[in-house]
Amino acid sequence: MTAISISTRVSTGRRKLVNIRQRSLLTAKWRGLWVLACFAAITVCALLRIVYLGFFGPAPRGMDMANALLPDRGEIVDRNGVPLARALSAYALWYNPNALGGGSPLVKSPAEVAAGLAKVFPDMDPAELADRLATGQPGYLRRRILPEEANRIHALGEPALEFPRETERYYPQGSMGAHVLGFVSSDGHGRVGMEQVYDKRLTDPATRSRPAQLSIDARVQGALEDELGRGMALSNAKGAAGIILDVDTGEVLALASLPAFDPNLIDQAGTTNIFNRVTNQVYELGSTFKPITVAAALDAGTVTDLSRRYPSSRPLSIGGFQIRDSHSLGESLNVPEALIHSSNIVTAQIADELGGQRLKATMQSLGMNERPFVELPARGFPLWPRGDWARITTMTVSYGHGIAVTPLHLASAYAALVNGGIWRPATLEKLAPGQAPAGRRVFKASTSARMRQLLRMIVAYGTGKKADAPGFRVGGKTGSAEKPGAGGYRRSSLVATFAAAFPMDRPRYVVIAMLDEPQGTPATSYQRTAAWNTAPVVARVVPRIGPLLGIMPDETRDIDITDLRPLIPGEASE
Amino acid sequence: MNLTRDRVRSIGWAFLLAVCFALTMVLTFRVNAVKSEVRLAERKIVAIKQEKMFLETEFETRSNQQQLKALNDLEFGYEAPRAAQYIEGERRLAELGKPRGPGAPAPIRVARAAGGGAEAPFLAMVSPLTGQAMAAEARTAHKQADAATLGQYLAHIQKREVGRE
Repeated sequence: MTAISISTRVSTGRRKLVNIRQRSLLTAKWRGLWVLACFAAITVCALLRIVYLGFFGPAPRGMDMANALLPDRGEIVDRNGVPLARALSAYALWYNPNALGGGSPLVKSPAEVAAGLAKVFPDMDPAELADRLATGQPGYLRRRILPEEANRIHALGEPALEFPRETERYYPQGSMGAHVLGFVSSDGHGRVGMEQVYDKRLTDPATRSRPAQLSIDARVQGALEDELGRGMALSNAKGAAGIILDVDTGEVLALASLPAFDPNLIDQAGTTNIFNRVTNQVYELGSTFKPITVAAALDAGTVTDLSRRYPSSRPLSIGGFQIRDSHSLGESLNVPEALIHSSNIVTAQIADELGGQRLKATMQSLGMNERPFVELPARGFPLWPRGDWARITTMTVSYGHGIAVTPLHLASAYAALVNGGIWRPATLEKLAPGQAPAGRRVFKASTSARMRQLLRMIVAYGTGKKADAPGFRVGGKTGSAEKPGAGGYRRSSLVATFAAAFPMDRPRYVVIAMLDEPQGTPATSYQRTAAWNTAPVVARVVPRIGPLLGIMPDETRDIDITDLRPLIPGEASE
Repeated sequence: MNLTRDRVRSIGWAFLLAVCFALTMVLTFRVNAVKSEVRLAERKIVAIKQEKMFLETEFETRSNQQQLKALNDLEFGYEAPRAAQYIEGERRLAELGKPRGPGAPAPIRVARAAGGGAEAPFLAMVSPLTGQAMAAEARTAHKQADAATLGQYLAHIQKREVGRE
């Protein structure tokens, strides 16, 4: 009985146990199923998501690459696509004292770090640097460093020395064309030159991918700067200016104002040389105005006979003012002789016959009474005699005194003088063929043809002899004007200008070279006038730029001046 | 298991659907893989283009007009060619190669200055990879050409110019 009862108890216990086992197995199975279901749900979700992304997900945008390659500021290139200014991402050296998260900003002592930095940058002062590091003020240690320098600083093992990549404006050609380009200031906006003019266009994401093309030719610009710099050094001049202009379109191929500045180093170099002598400074340009006066007289018909002789032996006295020549040029001169020898007396008489009104009208239509036409923001206003011109004003203006204009004014006027008589505004933007502005007629085509002959004669036989580049048929006029100072003109400081055009048989380019206060040196035979310092500059520039611009020298070719040669018997017989 | 016709058909459809779905998935993955490859390639292109611009800028800086002028002033002293150094048009150029006409004077032959030998005065072009002379030059006997030969050549030019003066 006991046994049975025991067995019963046992069997009941077993049954219970089996029950419990089954139940827990079931629970386990259910739980396993739940886990499986969870996993399945997650897998399905993941698969659905992948499918969704595969079908509807954002496709890799085609704009990505274009965006990544879009410069922060558009490039500026010359007329042949040579980059003159571009955005370049460069490393800067930044001191971040909080890089280590509190405590001492540096791992080593400031003196050690400063010594390490001074090894990388020998121009930095270790003592000053150590002081700066010790103060714990964040700031730039250097604005621009090279990648290899960044590597060497990285090797110093200081987390506080960071080199963030920053976009910099970079000018590969250094100071070349600096006055045309200008620079970008630390606020990211262009200053002075075309950087300022194109500021909107260069920063607008829609337009900055396409480089802004200037009319400048980098090779021509380089040649002009070289030769002007050489002329400036040889004559000990204070400054120099030069411009090369396409006579048919008004495009500026080169524009140089020396001494120049380096737009890459604008923070350090200061702003002393930023002033543009070509477009901003006005000068009395002297005898270079004589051809304009003669052209106006030919155009108006007051000079019909070039062989007519004007008295030139005695200074002209007008209202207590005397007009004289630099030296006596003989009893009388005809028009070609007056230009060849640059006679103030004869030019004043021609202007007197022409009359102030007509001379003024010509000067006005050459744009001499307003700021020069060019895109650059800094443009000087001419000193222009207002009202009706008195007789003496007319006479002095005829040889370039009492009127002060920029060299750019003169370049545009000479272009009109030789291109058939059409004045066009100068431009620094490259013009497509046929896009040249219509301009306005200032001289008759016949006058222009006559002026080409006369200008060529000045170089072939007159004061411009030293500008004659063989084979290039250069024509032009010298001008040496005394600078006005306190109480009249200063005899000792001159502005020497040479205004030229070439080739005279079919003029293509105007070249203006100007030296500010040249001195008499052995290189200029102790002379200070344009014939000795700026004319040789033109003679050296033209053979360098001519072939680059498609003008081949040819000594068998020249403008026909046979009809005028008998008028200058002495010189032409040489 | 008794499979009726309908059941078989529905299983078939389900199987077909599963296969199509699997294929679609494979295709989608493939497409996405290609897309990301394209993206990687684009990134690489951007990096290389930036590198190229960087190098280009470096070249331009090192060869900028002022550097070239300084080099020319120091080393070469080249000047703008004179008018006589130009030939006008193809006719003038062709004239130089014209055979001598009957009765025309014999062309003036200029003797070569002795010392240069038969060897070309300039350095042989050397491959930057192997350091060997290029195949064309290697065949000729230019292997000896080195800085000394160039020096000799320059000395000759100088001598000749002194002689001319």
